[in-house]
Amino acid sequence: MFFRMIAGAFRRQWKKMLMIALTVALGASIATAMLNVMLGVGDKINEELKAYGSNITVVPSSEAVLSELYEVEDGENKEEYLSEETLNEFLTIFWANNIADFAPVLDTSVTVDDTEVRLVGTWFGHHLEFVKKGTTYQRDTGIVNLRSWWDVTDGVWLDEARLDGDRYAMAGRQLAEELDLKVGDKLIVKGEKGSEELELVGIFESGDEEENCIFTTLSVAQRLSGAQGKYKKAEVSAITSPDDELAEKAAKNPELLSGDEYDLWYCTAYVSSICFQLQEAIPEASARAVRQIADSEGKILEKTELLMALITVMSLIGATLGISNLVTSSVMERAAELALMKAVGAKNGQITRLVMAEIILTSIAGAAAGYFMGYAFAQVIGQTVFSSAIEMSGMVAFLVTVLVIAVTLVGSIPAIRMILRLRPSEVLHGGH
Amino acid sequence: MNKKRRMFVRMVLASLLRRRSRMIIALLAIVVGATILSGLGMIYYDVPRQMSAQFRSYGANIIFVPREGAEMSIEEINKGIGVFPSDKLEGYTPYRYENTKLNNLPVTLAGTEFSSVLRTSPYWHISGELPAGNGGCLVGKKLAEKFGLSAGDTISPLNSFEITDDIDISSIPESEIYEDPQTGEKFCDHSLDLKISGILETGGSEEDYIYVTLEDITDLMLNERGFDIVEVSVAASAKELKDYLDEINKNAVSLTAKPVKRVTASESTVLSKLESLVLIVTLVVLALTMICVATTMTAVITERRREIGLRKALGALDSSIVLEFLSEGLVLGAAGGIVGSILGYLFADIVSMNVFSSAITFRPLLLPVTIIASVIVTGLACLIPIRSAVDVDPALVLKGE
Repeated sequence: MFFRMIAGAFRRQWKKMLMIALTVALGASIATAMLNVMLGVGDKINEELKAYGSNITVVPSSEAVLSELYEVEDGENKEEYLSEETLNEFLTIFWANNIADFAPVLDTSVTVDDTEVRLVGTWFGHHLEFVKKGTTYQRDTGIVNLRSWWDVTDGVWLDEARLDGDRYAMAGRQLAEELDLKVGDKLIVKGEKGSEELELVGIFESGDEEENCIFTTLSVAQRLSGAQGKYKKAEVSAITSPDDELAEKAAKNPELLSGDEYDLWYCTAYVSSICFQLQEAIPEASARAVRQIADSEGKILEKTELLMALITVMSLIGATLGISNLVTSSVMERAAELALMKAVGAKNGQITRLVMAEIILTSIAGAAAGYFMGYAFAQVIGQTVFSSAIEMSGMVAFLVTVLVIAVTLVGSIPAIRMILRLRPSEVLHGGH
Repeated sequence: MNKKRRMFVRMVLASLLRRRSRMIIALLAIVVGATILSGLGMIYYDVPRQMSAQFRSYGANIIFVPREGAEMSIEEINKGIGVFPSDKLEGYTPYRYENTKLNNLPVTLAGTEFSSVLRTSPYWHISGELPAGNGGCLVGKKLAEKFGLSAGDTISPLNSFEITDDIDISSIPESEIYEDPQTGEKFCDHSLDLKISGILETGGSEEDYIYVTLEDITDLMLNERGFDIVEVSVAASAKELKDYLDEINKNAVSLTAKPVKRVTASESTVLSKLESLVLIVTLVVLALTMICVATTMTAVITERRREIGLRKALGALDSSIVLEFLSEGLVLGAAGGIVGSILGYLFADIVSMNVFSSAITFRPLLLPVTIIASVIVTGLACLIPIRSAVDVDPALVLKGE
């Protein structure tokens, strides 16, 4: 009988039920879209913040500097290098997947047309591939994404994959103007340990002192400076979690952490734990956070996430009020029907159960539709703003379901109780 | 005519008051919609300004450097700084770099203004503290590790130079001057005792320097000269920055103002993403909320089909019924819009205080926009069910079909 009555209600009042389902669907889609965007926004903004370049630099460890201090003669410092094989280790650490890009840098002083110029050797779209302990690691990386603010005004970016042979270079705008260089020019570059002929493929604007430099591939710089198989420092752009108390504690000294804290810190992508792991993998190197980038990233991320969280809260309040409002109004509208049931002898509990069952069934149908609508909206937001999909979290589906059921109950129970408290004759007479 | 109008007003008001619970529901729906519209609108308009201030944690975005062969004059620096509106200027810090020796190794000394340095370089991590004044210094971490220095130590950087005729040596103590016995050239070893108040960690090239006050570097070098660079941090959009730079560069003869491309270019990339994120979120939420408001209004009106039927049966004209219901809706829409825009402003302010710790800028224009939007949405939402009720035969409506 109960089910027949419910089925009857849906058949007779499908228009009203559809209206409730539609409103619930709208509310649920707002909730789904906003919650997913809120949960995903950190990762997306983090990727965007990679525009600022590297947030970690790896240099030869300073202990080596100290031990060699006494070998110093004539006030000249002996150069420190890291061997090129150590670059492989970047891909083997725990957080390797969070390392978006990295590139070694070897700079040396050279002369071009009798002018002294700083020449920087690095990777441009370098393909790194090696086998370690039976696993093949590979990655295409280089300086391009670490210099997103460069404008290549003439020519193109140097690209190791496209141009084979180590005989290409890029020059900064200022240097190019000074030496009257043009794309396609062949430069004779004389270094400490040899000379090379390099073809200029691009001229860039960077707005800093790099505009006075020549950039070329690492191996060219190695040959010119005689530092075969070596580099001076590596720039690393890693996707990190903003620093919190634990990270600050660990930054002072990781050994002071308790076992659990240490595990948590080690397995969170803090800039300090990534640095720590790089140092673990390359004992002769020291990895440091570039404070200007790492600190600011944390701040911007925190603010963005908080902003989105509050906008989400605002939308959720709006959506829940909207749903509970309509549910209340639809119950009130049925005052006469409920009073009639009561008048013919139905118990309060029976009536409540019946109405609740109808409304909750409608809401669940609406919520299901709303979840998929919300999914679509989240993807529209992700594609328009970040040109990438927003990951859907399973937790959101659960949260939205709970939210919708709770809101429906809150919206309907007080209204039902209020009507049932009235005398049926009053309600049926229309005196409310 | 007058009587008729009075009756109309009474009917609208009475209907709103009599049917209190329904009207509260309708009003609530409109208020929620209007709150979201004005709140999100205000946040959207304020985000670029507020976020731009946050991006100042990346430090200076403009530098002044001397033109070739010139020395930056203090007046021109002040004039240049004066171009930036004071509410957008976070701070500016001058630097003078000199090569000196420490334990016979070359080190770079940077003279600066410690009172403003953290405004242009908020990312400096100092273990210890900033020097309180002359006689104190900050030592970069790399340098400190190299020389085994820590906070509290005293260092004596050395300025060693050959005395030529054009150098005034009257202020130099006798003990610092010595003569090469073979060539007869006179030299001076002038040094200054500095107490290290803190070790500087940045992860960048700053870690190779020693930072001292401008007076101390003048004392040590025994001469005064223009700054090598002035770092400026300005919270402004890329376009505003360009205008400021053009204005400065047009008038200045001793200096060039340049953007720090790494900071400015990256900021516009990220900021434009953030803006479009807030925009599209606002649009999606607004669209959905407005539909939600409309469905609620439609539901409330549909419920009154019997009333419409009854009036029609009693001989009311279609147009007068439509007009009356619409007026009701518009009164509700306007009232909801006013309440909603105030609530929206309060909400935006709470968000702004929590996220950015600064009050939101009140946009007066959003007030009429919110009210008009609420009225339009309510009007449209009412019109559809009223029209369909009016078009139907009163007998059918009254019968409840």
